[in-house]
Amino acid sequence: MLKRFFGKIGIAEVLLFISVLILIVVVAVPVLLILWTALFVDGSLNTKDIIHILSQPGTYEALKNSLVIAGGVTVLSTIIGVFFAWLVSRTDLPFKETMKVLFLVPFMLPSFIGALAWKMLLSPRSGYINKFLVDIFSLDASPFNIYGLGGIIAVETMYLFPFVFIQVAGALERMDPTLEESARISGAGLLTITRRITLPLMLPGIAAGALLVALYSLAHFGVPAILGTESGIYNIPTKIYEQIYQSGGSFVAIRTGTILSSILIVAAGLILYAQNLVLRAGRFQVIAGKSMRPTLLKLRGLKIPILIFSLLYIFITVILPTATIFLVGTLKTYGIAFTWENMSLQNLKYILFDWRMTRDAIWNSFYLSLAAAMITMVVGVLISYTIVKMKVRGKFILEFLGVLPFSVPGTVIALGVILTWSGKFGINLYNTAWIIFVAYIARYMAFSLKSNSAALEQVDDSLEEAARACGATHWQSLRDIVIPLIKPGMVAAFFLIFLPALRELTTSVLLYGPTTRTIGVAIYALNEDGETVYAATLASVALVIIIVGQLVIKRITRTTVQGV
Amino acid sequence: MKKISMILFTMLIFFGFVATSPAAEKLMLYTSMKESLIGKIRDVFVKKNPDIAFDYYSAGAGKLMAKIAAERQSGKLTVDILWHSEVPDFYKLKQEGMLEKYVSPESENVRSPVKDPEGYFTPARLGTLAIAYNKKKIASPPKNWNDLLDARFTNGFGIANPALSGTSFVSVAMIVNTFGWEYFEKMAKNGAIMGQGSGQVVDDTASGDLLATLAPDYIAIDKIEKGANLGIVFPEEMLVIPSPIGIMKGTPNLKAAERFIDFLLSKEGQTLIAAEGTLPIRDDVAIPPEILAMGMVTTGQAVQRAMKLDYIKTMDEKEAIIKKFSAIIRAAK
Repeated sequence: MLKRFFGKIGIAEVLLFISVLILIVVVAVPVLLILWTALFVDGSLNTKDIIHILSQPGTYEALKNSLVIAGGVTVLSTIIGVFFAWLVSRTDLPFKETMKVLFLVPFMLPSFIGALAWKMLLSPRSGYINKFLVDIFSLDASPFNIYGLGGIIAVETMYLFPFVFIQVAGALERMDPTLEESARISGAGLLTITRRITLPLMLPGIAAGALLVALYSLAHFGVPAILGTESGIYNIPTKIYEQIYQSGGSFVAIRTGTILSSILIVAAGLILYAQNLVLRAGRFQVIAGKSMRPTLLKLRGLKIPILIFSLLYIFITVILPTATIFLVGTLKTYGIAFTWENMSLQNLKYILFDWRMTRDAIWNSFYLSLAAAMITMVVGVLISYTIVKMKVRGKFILEFLGVLPFSVPGTVIALGVILTWSGKFGINLYNTAWIIFVAYIARYMAFSLKSNSAALEQVDDSLEEAARACGATHWQSLRDIVIPLIKPGMVAAFFLIFLPALRELTTSVLLYGPTTRTIGVAIYALNEDGETVYAATLASVALVIIIVGQLVIKRITRTTVQGV
Repeated sequence: MKKISMILFTMLIFFGFVATSPAAEKLMLYTSMKESLIGKIRDVFVKKNPDIAFDYYSAGAGKLMAKIAAERQSGKLTVDILWHSEVPDFYKLKQEGMLEKYVSPESENVRSPVKDPEGYFTPARLGTLAIAYNKKKIASPPKNWNDLLDARFTNGFGIANPALSGTSFVSVAMIVNTFGWEYFEKMAKNGAIMGQGSGQVVDDTASGDLLATLAPDYIAIDKIEKGANLGIVFPEEMLVIPSPIGIMKGTPNLKAAERFIDFLLSKEGQTLIAAEGTLPIRDDVAIPPEILAMGMVTTGQAVQRAMKLDYIKTMDEKEAIIKKFSAIIRAAK
């Protein structure tokens, strides 16, 4: 009797129950509270405030900027991401494996650190490149101005296109090349094959990547805050940030923030809807347990020029800004020349050992993102498994809850978390690291769900059915069949969470307390306080941690794979 | 994977313990003073009072007040003492009953344009704002406020965002009070720029991105000492802003808070303040000659040349002033 009971409520069910609970408490409640606070005051509909805020020109302006930035970044990232993904998986580009790694490097570089670097390189009067060009060609005015929408879009694209790249490169690699070959044998030309076979098969990957980029840039704080606010360009997150600080953090400002957030939720919902329209064309289960090598397009004479172009792209978007950050980080004070007597490692010593604020920030970010990544990954697998593969009643609630965090931007999550966890419901996490932790889980759950369900959708049902037919339980088939197959997806989910969380800014900038600054917040605060050289030094440290972290994780995952 | 989660779990528990480990008497100061000033004060204070676990949170006045407002809503204050330059905030906090009364034995030596007679807060530093300019780009430094409307400062004069910076807000209010809104309208026509925090505009000026800016004294002086291409001038009508310090009502660390205020107002504390390039509020503390050589004035001169401002009246106008200022600066874009 007891055995049967436990046989039914196995470890999978318990974990699933906990996962759903986490999803509800951490994600659903904060978002619902946002909408509730935005719409109602003391139980009645708050039309007056809503109309007041919506009729302000600043609101339109911010919404327009958010949309223009998101649109521009998404289109550009998709073009660049697809092009490079195709280059490394379907052509005979030399050093392909190295190039594949190199194209992922921009993803490691936090976009707001990129913005900081580009501000140093391209600000109109003092940017190093501008000054260099003015001197060389004796120009009258600086050729570039990074401040403005163009600059914001360019910088965000540089560091977000890997989202598309990863997804599309993955899709291309997993794709069964026999499909293309049979088309070719039937006499179809390259164009027809690309249009009728390759592109539709890539579409889920492209759409998933583009969606991540769109949602990310729609509600991104760091780059617009660094490159936009000075010239009066606000998007919704920077607007919310300013509103809250303009009125001394009063509840009225938080309410204004919730109304602006609701606009973001709607905009994100529309993007999500658009993606669904694209995907409605059909889902494909293309991993069928077979594997073959696709035929590669010969680049011939273009081989070397394209290689040089790719390397140049990496150099300009990654190496140049990184070097700038490292160099400025050694200066005694900002604006002086790079001479030996002006440069030292004094700043590094100061922020690593002497300054408690920066020391705390490094540590906080490290353990917060590690913990968030682990938990989110495990919960994400279970939930997406239920959504994609299981047939249980009430699944639509899960599906809805699964989509919800995906359409909720970081700023909104921060506000929701403040409303939920500052004592109103008995638990007060305000000013502690825990409030950032729950916000991270809420924020990154979407990444994990997306990555895991994309991987799960491509596992053919037949494989699991075979296991079940042989008498395996849900848990056994999950453990022995599904998880090994989606392991790359899980590892991807871990990366997609751990590395962004490590340099997270949008959410933590609204949540940090006196002793819980994260690396992102500390760099942003140092920049805002005019400690440009310390900001650059800390950014260099962050970059080093990210690179080392990546190497360590790679090692760990390799050894566990060998252990299996 | 299991191994990693175990390590992680242990780590989390470990940190839970570290976070709650008992320390000596704790003291949390929220201040708008930057590291270069508060860091030195902390070092000396901690050395003299090893039984107090002193920590501080440094951010612009706007952020500090936002943080405190949020803490009040959550019902748990982290802040014990507050020290920043947005004087009206202190009157407001006193009005709302948020401040603890404390008259330091040192306060009879304090000389300042504002002083709460009931002892709810007391100025601990006299901040001045200089016009800092980039020495490479501006050949002849500006002498008075009207010089800033010249063509040589077109699209190059910066003011920190008054929503973020207390000194910037009080400066704006003082300039409006002295010269009227027309002054900012003219300045906006000349392409004035609203930056971020009060420190960032100084660094932007040092790099040459801005040509000149309103700069808190000690921030500019700290950078000049490190070799930045900056010069500072004080026009005849000076921006002089006292930075009051007050104890939050109901703090469990009252004794430690009082000791910190006594230290800050003492001759030793004020000497540290003078050495970092801002003005002491005691007459018996001299300003180091090398700082006077950079163009700094003495406390007496500063008080005499200070622009006037009715802080209590300004208290209620804060949001309106910030909105109007932002609108004027942005309208010209």
